[in-house]
Amino acid sequence: MISDRLKRTILSELDLDEFDIRDEMLAGEVPGWDSLSHARIISAVETEYGTRFKTLELLKLRNVGDLQALVDHRTTK
Amino acid sequence: MTFTSLSYFLFLPLVYLIFVFTQHRFRWLVLLAASYGFYATFNAPQLLIALAFVSCFSYICALQLAKAVEESRRKRTLQLGATVCLLALLSMKLLPRLPQSFATAIPHVNLMTSIAVSYFTFQAISYLADVYLETRAPERHLGYHALALAFFPKLLQGPIERAGDILPQLRRHYEFNYGAMRSGMLLFTLGLYKKVVLADRLAVYADVVYDNQRDSIGLPLVIGTYAYALQIYFDFSGYTDMARGTARMFGIELTENFKSPYLANSIADFWQRWHISFSRWILDYIFRPLQLAWRGLGQAGTALALIVTFLLCGIWHGTTWGFITWGLLHGLYLATSIYYRPHQTNLYKWLRIDRSKWLKAWQILITFNLVSFAWIFFRSQSMTSAWYAITNVWRLSESRLDVFHGTGKRGAELVLISLFLFSWAELDPTLPRILHTMFDGRLRWLYYYVCIMLILLCGVFGTGEFIYGRF
Repeated sequence: MISDRLKRTILSELDLDEFDIRDEMLAGEVPGWDSLSHARIISAVETEYGTRFKTLELLKLRNVGDLQALVDHRTTK
Repeated sequence: MTFTSLSYFLFLPLVYLIFVFTQHRFRWLVLLAASYGFYATFNAPQLLIALAFVSCFSYICALQLAKAVEESRRKRTLQLGATVCLLALLSMKLLPRLPQSFATAIPHVNLMTSIAVSYFTFQAISYLADVYLETRAPERHLGYHALALAFFPKLLQGPIERAGDILPQLRRHYEFNYGAMRSGMLLFTLGLYKKVVLADRLAVYADVVYDNQRDSIGLPLVIGTYAYALQIYFDFSGYTDMARGTARMFGIELTENFKSPYLANSIADFWQRWHISFSRWILDYIFRPLQLAWRGLGQAGTALALIVTFLLCGIWHGTTWGFITWGLLHGLYLATSIYYRPHQTNLYKWLRIDRSKWLKAWQILITFNLVSFAWIFFRSQSMTSAWYAITNVWRLSESRLDVFHGTGKRGAELVLISLFLFSWAELDPTLPRILHTMFDGRLRWLYYYVCIMLILLCGVFGTGEFIYGRF
């Protein structure tokens, strides 16, 4: 389940008012989230949660649910 | 042997018959032997050795990757595997540059070609990366792994398949499907038409201009440039159609490599439609790691990653300034779009033209011309020639079309009619639906007959070389 905080961070970066983001959703299914904006969104998430992900962790992400799991892992450490 | 060789029309049915009459558990061996046999027709044993070496080395590396637990060891294994594959590629690319005396030292051996090496090397690196990132378990059957790299329909020019896409299909039990066989043959015929009737005839116009650029001023340079843009598209997409059509006959669906690239509304959109398997490869294995590693630089990090990625893309095509400039241009097109795209989007929304068909048509026109401009560097024989083309293409009032005398008027009419029909099919789904209905009936035999007659009568049969077979 994608948290409201993560959802707000992503939508804010993409300048979207409302969009239903689900666990199994791929980045490309979110309007405006493409390969050119990907790093910007990741940076926004890192700033929001006060963390920095490893490049390898990010390359292994398959969907938004994986990003949520990574954030949860970092914030509960 | 290439897809346009007469011998291929004997080779393919023979392989298919042997394949069908072989037990399922040995079919991989039939296809593997056929693939190596197909590759052997280039009389370049060094390429066969490279293919076998890359297959075995990547197989072993992947198994070691899966076994290793420690991250540093996994990383080193991946780096070793990728480096060795790239060294194999580099050595095969450098061989043709050796002195002529060495190149011809061994009779009946062709040291001047490196065809296919890029494609199976990139696929091997992709496979290792996927095992490292744990998106795919390693393939434990060496035969299937080797076949995934060597499968003859995609060997020479791709598509660059992902292990996760092709391996399950190769392992699947083949059952004859009349619809798949028919559509495979149709796709192959369409690809052959694109290559020998369209691409090789457009090449006549492009070559007249680009082989002797200083003989042309103004309009001929425009025509030659657009002709080359269309030539390279029909050449490469024609090959891909023949590859996909052949593979479909064996029950394998290869990646669609082109999706109307000249209808792209931006350069970013173009690269999602052109040579899709390659652009996905550079996106996943070069651009994305760089972009993420440099994300601390903000937008500048993404811009830099794009420029480096496309510079490498240009260098892969060749180490001439023309190819490097072509790659750099695309990198710059994309890098600058990161900065202006958000403002452009807001402007269109404010002007309320963001959903306008006229805007879309304008964007398609601009994108096509930006891509064609970059092709000037790709095709020109030197930077001096490219500079001549760029500075003289505007001198339209001094144009002389007599450079095209002797190129064949009948061919031009056929090319224009074909371009009209292809464009119509791309823009309006009604035509493909009508044709699809026809193909289900007896009229499809008329279509086969017309296609084959056009291919035989109007096809340009030369060396049969495909443009992207050189890279």
